[in-house]
Amino acid sequence: MHTEKPKHDFEPKIIAFVCTWCTYAGADLAGTSRMQYPANVRVLKFPCTGRIDPVFIIKAFQQGADGILISGCHPGDCHYISGNYHARRRFAAFRKLLEFIGVDLNRIQFSWVSAAEGGKWVDVVTDLTERVRTMGPMVEFKDLALEEQWSGGLNSPDLQEIYEAM
Amino acid sequence: MTQPIDISGYTRITESIRTEAKRILSDGTVSAVIGYTHVRRKGSTQPILITNPDDSEKLFFSEGCLNNLVVYLTKSKKDVPKTGKIGIVVKGCDLKAVVGLLGESQLKREDIYLIGVPCNGVLGSLINPATELNTKTIAAKCRECTDRMPVGADFVPPVELAAMPQMEATYSDKIAKLEAMTPSERWEFWKEQFSKCIKCYACRQVCAFCYCEQCVCDRNRPQMVEQSPRPSGNFSWHLVRAIHLAGRCVGCAECERVCPMDIPLNLLNRKMAMEMKELFNSEAGFEVREKGPLNSYDEHDDESFIR
Ligand code: SF4
Ligand code: SF4
Repeated sequence: MHTEKPKHDFEPKIIAFVCTWCTYAGADLAGTSRMQYPANVRVLKFPCTGRIDPVFIIKAFQQGADGILISGCHPGDCHYISGNYHARRRFAAFRKLLEFIGVDLNRIQFSWVSAAEGGKWVDVVTDLTERVRTMGPMVEFKDLALEEQWSGGLNSPDLQEIYEAM
Repeated sequence: MTQPIDISGYTRITESIRTEAKRILSDGTVSAVIGYTHVRRKGSTQPILITNPDDSEKLFFSEGCLNNLVVYLTKSKKDVPKTGKIGIVVKGCDLKAVVGLLGESQLKREDIYLIGVPCNGVLGSLINPATELNTKTIAAKCRECTDRMPVGADFVPPVELAAMPQMEATYSDKIAKLEAMTPSERWEFWKEQFSKCIKCYACRQVCAFCYCEQCVCDRNRPQMVEQSPRPSGNFSWHLVRAIHLAGRCVGCAECERVCPMDIPLNLLNRKMAMEMKELFNSEAGFEVREKGPLNSYDEHDDESFIR
């Protein structure tokens, strides 16, 4: 009963930060309704979008994420009344910061997906996955993580000589 | 072309500060005054805290008074005696920091006595302290300053502001240049800058708004920001710093001044301030904001970026 899945050269890793009350339930609904969506997405459940700290996004990129999805309740539906309103401001600001330091914002998607919107969840995840797939791997943060470059690197000829003699 | 800046008013400001400090200390209005004093090296200055009215003569103001003294009022600097009202000398930008801290309930207005300075700018650095103040040596923040006359202070020396020559706006120009670059060029730029960071945290130490008892960057389990001074952890540190200060930073540029690695920290801060203005019409000023732009919201905020 499974449809044939096309083979791709690159399978992006998508990290989805979702709130437990709406989007998590929406994703769950998509699952129980047996809708198909890319298995590239790893869902992380939070109590509320207001709990999602911008530092989580940086961390996710450093740990190898190629795309990020942040999703929660529609405005007015927050279980904690205003968590998503605060998150909306915070991420409006944070994406500007990311853009300014040179992150391509096409890798980050924000959305409101309610507990009843299993279909929207599938659409959002599929679109993001395909978009990131065409963009290729996110290498910037990963490369940084591999770089040792201590401030006092072995960059003078004298030091290099001593180092080699050791 | 380099033009001199008229700071003839600073002598009268100095006299005024001395008289006022003497008065408030002797009549018991305040228990201490935080201000600036001379040091041995000509033109250089350092912060001083005086409690004796006779010490008022030690106070002065000059183009070398760079420090934002407000940092001595926040939580993490508890060594400043809090045995009563404290007098403090503030320039326009410093006063905005006081206002910000009042809004964040870190200070009570009745606990401080503000001596505001009509300010014609300060030097960019004290590396050569005996330098003349001109359009070249002036601090970058002063080139774009619009709040030179403190508003709402308890005492302001009766000195007129001198007219300032036309100066290019260093930060806005640089921001515009960066914005015109491609994302990967910007990434390269910041990568080079952030990679220099040695994580000495001087920028955090000097910031009036970094008053958290424990910084998220010092925590492990879970460790969100790698602590060693390597490119990866440096990026986290700088992004966290910028977002935590967004909507709060007043642009005193102390972080940038104290950075031993010459990282343009205030460039990020200014960029975020511009965004706060544009997105939420909120900016630091002389009026206490009960809530900053990032801890308040409007149901009609823009959400064009959200699907
Ligand atoms: S930024 Fe403005 S108030 Fe602050 S030192 Fe410069 S001129 Fe004075
Ligand atoms: S002062 Fe400069 S080198 Fe030190 S932690 Fe801050 S940015 Fe890094």
